[in-house]
Amino acid sequence: MTTDPILVGEGLYHEYGELSVLEDVDIAVAPGELTAIVGPNGTGKTTLLRILLGHLSPTAGEVRYTGPEVDRPIGYLPQQPSFRPQFTAAETIAFYAALLDEPAETEVALRRVGLADAADRRVEALSGGMRRLLGIAQSLVGEPPVAVFDEPASGLDPSMATSAFETLADRAADGTAVLVSSHDLSLVERFADRVVFLNRGSVVVSGSPAELADATNAETLWEVYESVIREPAARREVEA
Amino acid sequence: MTGARSQFRTLVARELQTVARTRIYALLAVGVAGLLFALTAGGGGAQTGYLPAVVDLLLPLELLVPLVAIAVGYRSVVDDLERGELAVLETYNVPAWVYVAAIYVGRAAVLSAVLLSGLLVSGLVIAVAAGPDTTVFATHSGVDSPILWGRFIVLTLLFGLAMEALVVLLSVVARSVRAAIVLATGGVLLAAAGGDALIVLGLADGWLTESNLLSALAVAPNSAYRGLVFETVIGVASAGEGGSAAPLWSLFGLVGWLVGSLLAATLLLSRRHL
Repeated sequence: MTTDPILVGEGLYHEYGELSVLEDVDIAVAPGELTAIVGPNGTGKTTLLRILLGHLSPTAGEVRYTGPEVDRPIGYLPQQPSFRPQFTAAETIAFYAALLDEPAETEVALRRVGLADAADRRVEALSGGMRRLLGIAQSLVGEPPVAVFDEPASGLDPSMATSAFETLADRAADGTAVLVSSHDLSLVERFADRVVFLNRGSVVVSGSPAELADATNAETLWEVYESVIREPAARREVEA
Repeated sequence: MTGARSQFRTLVARELQTVARTRIYALLAVGVAGLLFALTAGGGGAQTGYLPAVVDLLLPLELLVPLVAIAVGYRSVVDDLERGELAVLETYNVPAWVYVAAIYVGRAAVLSAVLLSGLLVSGLVIAVAAGPDTTVFATHSGVDSPILWGRFIVLTLLFGLAMEALVVLLSVVARSVRAAIVLATGGVLLAAAGGDALIVLGLADGWLTESNLLSALAVAPNSAYRGLVFETVIGVASAGEGGSAAPLWSLFGLVGWLVGSLLAATLLLSRRHL
């Protein structure tokens, strides 16, 4: 499915003092697609997400949101989601829902991530994985046209991680533009419609997993990663 | 977009619920009430009347009120920052001013409840322990009364609210809980004690003269509070001995700390993105 992107970043640069974190990054997120950003640690994934969210201003370049005018255009799951420990899971979602014009169903939001049975449990009594699922539920409150997830599967067991990606893929199938940063290449390969490889602050390659495999003569996304990120890094080390 | 009023109510409710479910604040209220009870009953002023008790409590409250403000508010914003909830709230289009106002109102309500309960307990001690004269309501100078005690409570709350606004500002400035406690303690004590120290220094060095002393006293929060208590509570019982402070300017001074701190907090938060 090809539709016009509703969140676009063009020519994005970002510097922290002397340190250049992003260099001329172009990215487009389309409704109905799950777009994944993949890259080594410290390569600027979180910085890119924060710029796309409008939480950080780029040193150069621009971000455009062209989606519908709604109460909450972009939902967000931070890398380490955390909530007030004194509140139950249901109260936490109800709090966020109350910040919007359109009433949101707390129960639906919790059921979507498999937390309906833990609705009355306090956040302090939830496991790390369950808190992350609660974070995913929160990020989808209000049905935002764009949803941004910073490592949604981090710290989750394989079953929960798959379940989290299934939730995101479901949202994409329902027309949401989903943007994810992740280190889990197998889940990205399985669920992503488009993958953007980011290395040293720049986009190295991007495309669907199949297109990337064709372009690099690889069979898996891991081999693509080897080809576009690990091998060039090894060559640079040898040259240095 | 959701009405700012509705978001404000939701955020205030969250603050109040958070405090209601955190036992340490109940312990704080009991501790403050106990301390004020001990100071009132043990200071000797209670047996004599409301005004002597005000004199007994004024200096301890100048220290206690800022400390309670720190305890109630130093984590108010930085906790949300550390948890990543500030970044999440921004995706709900919560304006910085709504967030700051709601956090402040929630925490100010808690601070007021803590101070009010302690001072009401002290008032009760005085009413029970003091002589019959203190039950008379003051209609003219020189008469001790519960009305003066009420005035003292209002001024103490105003002082506390100004300090709480400063603590919320410092919680916005901080980037971690550890930094928040250091900033709140240092900043509030600097404002509380530093103002008085500067005035003393100014008088000693000569750059502060008698003509501008009252204005200077109105600017420092502690001396503004002290001046207001002297002029509008203690001074009532000793007619003709006013002039130790400019009450209106002192009032403006405390309101200035309150409003200025909240404006600065809002500005800082909106520049940093909520």
